[in-house]
Amino acid sequence: MNQDKKIRILVAKPGLDGHDRGAKVVAFGLRDAGFEVVYTGLRQTPEMIVNAAIQEDVDVVGLSILSGAHLSLTQRVIQSLKEKGAEDKMVIVGGIISPTDAAKLKETGVAEVFIPGTSIKTIAAFIKSKFSA
Amino acid sequence: MKEELKKIEQEKNCWEEKTLKPALERFKLKESPTQFYSPPDLGEGFNFLDQVGFPGQYPFTAGTYPTFPYLTGERGSGGIAQAKGLVRAGRYSGYGAPEDTRDYYMHMKKLGARTGPNIAFDLPTQCGYDSDSPMANGEVGRVGVAVDTLRDMEVIFEAFSGENDIDRTASNFTINAPANILMAMYLALAEKRGISWNKLRATPQNDILKEFVARGTYIFPPRPSIRMFRDSLVFFTKHLPNVNITSIGGYHIREAGATREQDLAFSMSIGAAYLQEGVNAGLPVDSFAPHFSFNAFGGSMEFFKEIAFHRAARRMWAKLLKEKFGAKNERSMTLRVPLTVYPGNFNCTVQRPLNNLTRSVVGGIAAAMAGGPPGCYPPFDEPLGLGWSLEAIQLSEDAARILQHEARLVDVVDPLAGSYYIESLTTEIENAAWAEFEKIQKMGGAVAAIESGYMQREVAKSAYERQKKLEEGKELIVGVNCYLGEHELEVSTTRLVPHPYDPNRRDEAERLQVAHLKEVKQRRDNKEVTRLCQELKRAAEKEEVNLIPHFIECVKAYVTLQEMCDVLREVFGEYKPAAI
Repeated sequence: MNQDKKIRILVAKPGLDGHDRGAKVVAFGLRDAGFEVVYTGLRQTPEMIVNAAIQEDVDVVGLSILSGAHLSLTQRVIQSLKEKGAEDKMVIVGGIISPTDAAKLKETGVAEVFIPGTSIKTIAAFIKSKFSA
Repeated sequence: MKEELKKIEQEKNCWEEKTLKPALERFKLKESPTQFYSPPDLGEGFNFLDQVGFPGQYPFTAGTYPTFPYLTGERGSGGIAQAKGLVRAGRYSGYGAPEDTRDYYMHMKKLGARTGPNIAFDLPTQCGYDSDSPMANGEVGRVGVAVDTLRDMEVIFEAFSGENDIDRTASNFTINAPANILMAMYLALAEKRGISWNKLRATPQNDILKEFVARGTYIFPPRPSIRMFRDSLVFFTKHLPNVNITSIGGYHIREAGATREQDLAFSMSIGAAYLQEGVNAGLPVDSFAPHFSFNAFGGSMEFFKEIAFHRAARRMWAKLLKEKFGAKNERSMTLRVPLTVYPGNFNCTVQRPLNNLTRSVVGGIAAAMAGGPPGCYPPFDEPLGLGWSLEAIQLSEDAARILQHEARLVDVVDPLAGSYYIESLTTEIENAAWAEFEKIQKMGGAVAAIESGYMQREVAKSAYERQKKLEEGKELIVGVNCYLGEHELEVSTTRLVPHPYDPNRRDEAERLQVAHLKEVKQRRDNKEVTRLCQELKRAAEKEEVNLIPHFIECVKAYVTLQEMCDVLREVFGEYKPAAI
């Protein structure tokens, strides 16, 4: 991978959850940490997210979910990425997620789950570590 | 007086040179880590009667009520101020299908709760979607109860009948964009039960403007949404004397990242926009302002600043009503809010969650001293997931009881009145809020500030500023960005008593509710439904028509929430947020 090319990240709010403080803060923070960030805004269906991920040619899809619907919504995003041949995109999830559910999410292909209290530095470092040559 | 103050200022300068400076040198500090306040900080113009006054009287700085015989920590109260003879809603609750929520309330009644329903609706309901909509997939019955038709409200309210029927209990509905539709269901329910509307006590949240800024359960753009608010203000003022028109929330705006001053300024400008709708409708302000209430403001762990905040908020609302809206009745000027200070849910941690109990007690102490009930909110497991465990609720209720009965914190109203620190801090916060309020008024008011994205951008900026401070260690949260050494214990807790929300029922809710909805749609008169929807559309197209009577007719015919909202979507359009 070209080292000069910035890593592109889609920050998305799937479903009807309207709590976007975390998503916005992460979007700003990752932008300031040197990534190219696209924020989808609220009320994204899994299909809309995957289409945006492909259109924007992102490397990472970040889902922010605080409504308790993380298992089904993430599952649908991952399924849709597979169907559209985009499963090489890394999926990360943030939100109110129990350790049990975090484990379940990782089993379905989520690279990492970030819970409240995580610093943006941690998220940035994780992504960079996955994309370094 | 002037002489006295001058003397003290001189003495203060001496103190700084002779006493403070050596101490700073001893500790090798450039700046003092503490401050000290004295009479000059009150300012020469400080006048007790103008700026503080007595509790329950203009300018209400000391308190909304002259006195309040708190029944603190009442079973099921959720920290909301309860008193003998008052009919109040209880703890925020609701999940699953209507049957699940009905059974929950009946279960709580068995456990001693005597409060009314404070209903959380699921996201599809809040966003105007039925349980069988593709948009609702995975979300039915999760953050609250699913309501698609009048049938669902009828089921929920089976728990409130007989001796605690809806003419004897107070209901709270956390519903905003489709508030008028849910209220129409409540009114239809009352009619079916032969209960006259003037006996109904309820508070629909009905605060759509903050949804655009912070909470996200909007449907239509701001202007048609305000038209619907006007409908509620006019209809409720005329027909529902014991129903609160709105429950304004600075709370959500602060939780989304706003600063204290933004919370107060945005709340006041949103309140002003709603009040203006009543004025524009030709109603005297004293006829509707007494029915305005506040859900809560935001909170934080900064004890003294939050106490000062609430004193400033009361004084600011009073001045707004009296000076800007010309209210004559003091009831119009009172800021009615069920709880005051709390630590802020965003300050509660997943890490070492029992610390959240400590935090909630700090909030409860500040709340009592700020003229509110000593509610210790939220229960410590707030950040761990949906719904609070019974252990956490028990500790929260006990903490409030300890503050009232053992620490005797509500024996004196506004005990910090006259404090050099608190009075100057109150004025400082109020002045900052007025400056921001005037800025918003110059933009054209809250609706304009929301259409342009100003409020949303400011909140997002403040949220990011705070995150940066946390990551730089300039702000500290114990157990999250400090005191993380290997010798610190990650004290955890198990929650052993089964939660009253049955997770199996919640998982089944979507399937069940979709099946019930299908049944309702089959059994109803679908020709009538089509006719009523067409009528609703024609009415919605005329800005001056009050849609609530139309909603009442629709709900009685079991038109669904989404069917009504889809008609309105056709006419009003859907809100498209501005990019931040």
